[in-house]
Amino acid sequence: MELTSFIFFMFCLLTILIYFVIPKKFQWFVLLISSIVFLFWDNFSISTVMQAIIVLIPTYILGIQIEKYSNTKKGKWLLIIGIAIILGQLAYLKYTNLFLTTAKHLLKLINIEYKFTPVYRDSLIGISYYSLIMISYLVDIYRGASKSQKNIFKCALFMSYFPILTSGPFIRYNDINEDLYGKHKFDYNRMCNGLVRVLWGIFKVLVISARLGIFVDGVYGNLESFNGIFVVAAVIFFTLQLYTNFSGSIDIIMGISEVMGVKLPENFSLPFFSKTITEFWKNWHITLGAWLRDYIFYPLQKSNVMQRLTKKCKEKFGKKNGKKIPMYLSMLVMWILIGTWHGGAYTFIIGSGILQFIYIFLENELEPIAKKVNEKLHINMNSFGYKLYQVIRTFLLFSFAMIFFRATSVSNAIDIIKSIFALNRPLGLNLELIGLDIYNLLPLVLSLIALFVVQLIARNGSVREKLFKKNIAIRWTILYILIFAIIVFGCYGASYDPVAFIYKQF
Amino acid sequence: MEKEEIYERLNNVFRDIFDDESIVVTAKTTSNDIEDWDSLEHINLIVAVEQEFGIKFNMNEVTTMKNVGEMVDIIISRVNK
Repeated sequence: MELTSFIFFMFCLLTILIYFVIPKKFQWFVLLISSIVFLFWDNFSISTVMQAIIVLIPTYILGIQIEKYSNTKKGKWLLIIGIAIILGQLAYLKYTNLFLTTAKHLLKLINIEYKFTPVYRDSLIGISYYSLIMISYLVDIYRGASKSQKNIFKCALFMSYFPILTSGPFIRYNDINEDLYGKHKFDYNRMCNGLVRVLWGIFKVLVISARLGIFVDGVYGNLESFNGIFVVAAVIFFTLQLYTNFSGSIDIIMGISEVMGVKLPENFSLPFFSKTITEFWKNWHITLGAWLRDYIFYPLQKSNVMQRLTKKCKEKFGKKNGKKIPMYLSMLVMWILIGTWHGGAYTFIIGSGILQFIYIFLENELEPIAKKVNEKLHINMNSFGYKLYQVIRTFLLFSFAMIFFRATSVSNAIDIIKSIFALNRPLGLNLELIGLDIYNLLPLVLSLIALFVVQLIARNGSVREKLFKKNIAIRWTILYILIFAIIVFGCYGASYDPVAFIYKQF
Repeated sequence: MEKEEIYERLNNVFRDIFDDESIVVTAKTTSNDIEDWDSLEHINLIVAVEQEFGIKFNMNEVTTMKNVGEMVDIIISRVNK
């Protein structure tokens, strides 16, 4: 069920209607039934039902057991079993090809030819999300940070809460359980707030992202026909496409959840205003970063192995540099995992993993040098011009990494990079090849300007709050323009490709 | 161990980790008050505090402590056990 499809909105409408009509103590049960329907809507089979059960039942039982032995050795073993079951299934369903490709490359090193046909296993929607969510559930119980859920149906709801299955955000049991199982009165203002966010999300996905996607597909699909300038445009547009698609989906999800009184954690905080890649990742896919920090990076850095390594490195390389080596090592592990989570292919591991690590490494190591150079050249690092340069640099670095993220293979990514330098080709923009006529380019430009203006306003606080403070005429004019734009300029229907949710594949 | 002593020893740890001799921490000090105190340095700080006081924070404490005051409360509860 696509987030912008008619059927999804009918599904949400029906859920919300029943949710507020029935006695409040059954509200969570309505969410559970809806979540089960959503989970199996596109993909109902014995195999997918089994996939859900394989995670749910052990997590439920182990959660209760781990609670009895939190912070003890026995608890740790139970936790390891739980994580192994969840990760084992995830790896089997999503990463078999990655393992086989890696094996192939490794065997090639010792001159053994190994051929395999890629396997595609049907996996349940949201498996990359709920697998990590359930791991955090078990770990938090082990750490004594949260209690286990004694009711298996409530546990099932936490695992499968339908709004988050397509694009996240990652939820934590402690943050959401009161809202998820609580009683919620219908609140008109809350509903309006939620619906405006849904509208804005649809606008981002259907009007901006889908249209950018046509351009990006057009250029990437016919690389040899375009001058390098258009390839650069496609590279930049893909970053914007990814952002509007992903953050727009999150807006839809959060808006719907808000209507039902279930508050979800924010996943984006104006990432394109970031001055460094480090800052960028604090504002992009926030809940994934926080998950990896709390469940991978911190435990790894705090582990005895890393502590011993830190001690040795400090003795060898001095206090300051010594502590950096284990830190970078943990970071590298974390970034490779981020890349792998995004998809079981090297393109993802490079684009959303290793390259990001290299950027952050260079940023940290070159910062003192950059400071000195700027001082010598009398460049004011606090000036608007310099900050603008940093923001643009960050955007371009991220966009460059996204070439790999978008590419079909590493060699395809290299072809794209080579095409950037094809500046001797004719400069005319072949609109037919791109599939965007002049009537599409104008709404694209206008909607990008609208996005930029809204983001500028959002820097000084909630845009929705500001909107609701305006008088009724202005408020409704803006809302009507938004609705009108979605209806008229939304890319849907037979002539367009259906909007594929980029983040759903992970 | 008295609170004053803990704060004094914490000041030394903070100055050492963040390379800034002017740092003076109070119960209300948070990561917003110290420029280099980000999520990467946080874990280095935690480990250094653990070594200074010969205690262990559990991961829940590592990820949830909100200010130095909370850190001190945990230290007191551990060393005075």
